[in-house]
Amino acid sequence: MNIHSYEKLWLIAALLLIVGFIATITYGSVGLGIAMIDDSEDTVNPGSLDEDFGEPRVEHVGENEYEAYVIAQTFTYRPDPIEVPADSEVTFYVTSRDVIHSFSVVGTNVNTMVIPGEVSSMTVEFDDPGEYGIVCNEYCGDFHHTMEGQLHVVPEDEFDMTELSVEADDEVELGDEATFNVSVENGMLDDLETTASFEIGDETVEEEITVAGESTEETTFTVDSSDLGEGDHDWTITVDDYEESGTLTVVDELEEENDGGNNDE
Amino acid sequence: MSNAYIDQFPAEAKVVKALFYSSFVALALGGVFGIIQTLHRTDIYRFIDSANYYSVLTAHGVFMVITFTIFFLVGVFTWAVTTSLDREVEDIRFTWAWVALMSIGTVMAAVPILAGLTDSIDMSAAVLFTFYAPLQGHPLFYLGLVLFVVGTWVAGADWFRSWWAWKKENPDARIPLPTFMVLTTMIMWYIATMGVATSILVFLLPWSLGWIETVNPLLTRTLFWFFGHPVVYFWLMPAYMMWYVMLPKFSGGKLFSDPLARVGFVLFLLLSTPVGIHHQYLDPGISEGFKFIAMTNTMFLLLPSLLTAFTVVASMEHGARQRGGTGYFGWLKALPWRDPVFAGMALAGLLFAAAGFSGMVNAGMNINYLVHNSLWVVGHFHLTVGTAVALTFMAVSYWFIPQVTGKELWNRSVALVQVVLWFIGMTFMTNSMHRAGLIGMPRRTAEPQYEGFEFETAVGSVGELDAQIALGGVLLTLSLVLFFANIIGTAFGSRSDTLPDNGYAEALSGSDDAPRVLDNLKLWTAIAIVLVIFAYSLPLLSIVDRGGLFGPDIPPLPVSLESVTFLAFAVEHVATVALESAGNFAQTALSGVIN
Repeated sequence: MNIHSYEKLWLIAALLLIVGFIATITYGSVGLGIAMIDDSEDTVNPGSLDEDFGEPRVEHVGENEYEAYVIAQTFTYRPDPIEVPADSEVTFYVTSRDVIHSFSVVGTNVNTMVIPGEVSSMTVEFDDPGEYGIVCNEYCGDFHHTMEGQLHVVPEDEFDMTELSVEADDEVELGDEATFNVSVENGMLDDLETTASFEIGDETVEEEITVAGESTEETTFTVDSSDLGEGDHDWTITVDDYEESGTLTVVDELEEENDGGNNDE
Repeated sequence: MSNAYIDQFPAEAKVVKALFYSSFVALALGGVFGIIQTLHRTDIYRFIDSANYYSVLTAHGVFMVITFTIFFLVGVFTWAVTTSLDREVEDIRFTWAWVALMSIGTVMAAVPILAGLTDSIDMSAAVLFTFYAPLQGHPLFYLGLVLFVVGTWVAGADWFRSWWAWKKENPDARIPLPTFMVLTTMIMWYIATMGVATSILVFLLPWSLGWIETVNPLLTRTLFWFFGHPVVYFWLMPAYMMWYVMLPKFSGGKLFSDPLARVGFVLFLLLSTPVGIHHQYLDPGISEGFKFIAMTNTMFLLLPSLLTAFTVVASMEHGARQRGGTGYFGWLKALPWRDPVFAGMALAGLLFAAAGFSGMVNAGMNINYLVHNSLWVVGHFHLTVGTAVALTFMAVSYWFIPQVTGKELWNRSVALVQVVLWFIGMTFMTNSMHRAGLIGMPRRTAEPQYEGFEFETAVGSVGELDAQIALGGVLLTLSLVLFFANIIGTAFGSRSDTLPDNGYAEALSGSDDAPRVLDNLKLWTAIAIVLVIFAYSLPLLSIVDRGGLFGPDIPPLPVSLESVTFLAFAVEHVATVALESAGNFAQTALSGVIN
């Protein structure tokens, strides 16, 4: 076979180009550490994600290290928004409850297919705070175009994983004590030292609490209804930026319609 | 008396003409859905509901890349085999049978797609061209695809029959280049379609009929891409063939090198299939190693395309110098730019070079994160199949249609405007799609914006990108209108005696220079199969091992509901009857229509 000398040159140049491309991609993998989505995660059953995968959530797993467990389903992402601190390393675990979706953070190279039965995992560094949109870029049904979510990278000092919940009496009989059970959950690994403050009428009570990492602390506020008097009383319980509020009704005599006690409306 | 194709092969000319006309009907339908979709998505003009956008998108995809391209290319292949072997097909009834099979398959797949646009018929196949499970289309859609693919298999058998018969009479002759190209492409196609055939026959069709409960979404998806990448070479190979054997002729010269053309096609046969996983770089459940192998194979697949670029440009230069062109670049002016056939093909080749660059980015495994499933990809394949293939096919039609009808082209100036308009339209549309993809705009969605955030461009604006896409779409539609005006005008013209002779370009370095081993199709087939086994057996085994052959317990998400159960019972009966009568009925029907 006679090959023209120009064609030989071209052939060699083409081969060099190809080898050069492979080298750059390899450098991206080995040198820069851009890992591909792979088969490192165990499979899950889309029908029983609660056991296999758990609730959609963000977990604090190490200093500046977080894990986000995301479920994609027609036509939403959970959790939404996903909140993580800046200057952190976040590993996303994403799976689907129904059809094939994608999890693609707009304007970044965070982009993966989400296939039912499989879990996509990828570790991403977020240096700066910012708000990103998440879109599904794989057609998933009639309302595919409405499938979006939010990723909030918040400044480190504004980030916490505190959850406040309050269980309180709605109605008490004049003279009885009203109780407010407060539980503060700390999702971070470090201890949380904070103050719970309780306001009702013109009364304010504060209590220092320390919640150990990854645990929940409970405390109870009580108030004597005689001090408040008959009528509606608004209350507020505050822990850091979280606030729960409600209204306590103090009545002369509780109506006893059945045996259910004082929880009935 | 002219010596056009219709004079040499009157019976085959009818087949080829029928195939071309079928492909043009698909092109017209695909074009209508294309403009509806462009204007809807860019929010310039809307009259459909966004939920129906996906039926329109499915129709645009299937009509364009399955029906238009493949009907056209089987026509070209029939022409190539008969012309280069200089013999009629072995049995014209056999030829009509596969034409019928392909036509019936198309209609069957088209019915549920189009029915998806109306609520009054409970049928839909809005599953897009990729039909990823657990999204489930109507069984007719899958059945139609199967019949269509079987039709192409039978077509391949027809061409192999011709070659075997010819080889008996010419035991020592080299396979003529066009036939060589057809045969290597068809071997690639046989290997590639095993993936989609398995996916549909073993999994998706029984599942859509309710015979099996679940499928493994990653498995059917992987089987789709086993076929999904080589199918793009199935569209592209006939365009390459036109660039190799016709473009030099229209440039006024000869093909630069026959042996290198053969090497190119052998490389495509070997490397087209073991690369499909590069469409799944971002899929969970496939290890990084398998993706890396697919990436290196893909990069080497650049080689035959780069060789083609050299040979095509060298052949054009040769032609230009025969026409009196001189200088380093001055010869470009000597090319027949006013000939729509040449101009269209050359412009298609130019945009294909651009497509090569965006393709190299797609192929870059870890760079792919940035562009995967974004509008960038849509821009890329509108340059490849939408221009390199479609524009080449349209341009070469201006030569083929007179050859198979015996009629002079209606208007050469309109034809020239048409190919230039396509080039300009695609330039507007694809540059903006690429840019939109880089800022994260997804493909396959009905809306230009989302509620919770906005796309941000570094240069220009989202409005400007949308305007360019819409303008491109309008120019392309206009171009299509001119194309059909010309085809219809030609069809209604009268028989001409002054047509150019049928034929293709000779080579400067002919087949005698090509090593004999290049024609050893058995050897290349064996190597191709081994490469496919290497690239696919472990990934497929691993996918089945992980998710099970029939996958986890996921309910299907049918895009249409009630009629499926009924159809499950009816389908066996109907299919059997249809298959039995298909051959005879369609043959008579088609030849009746065509005469």
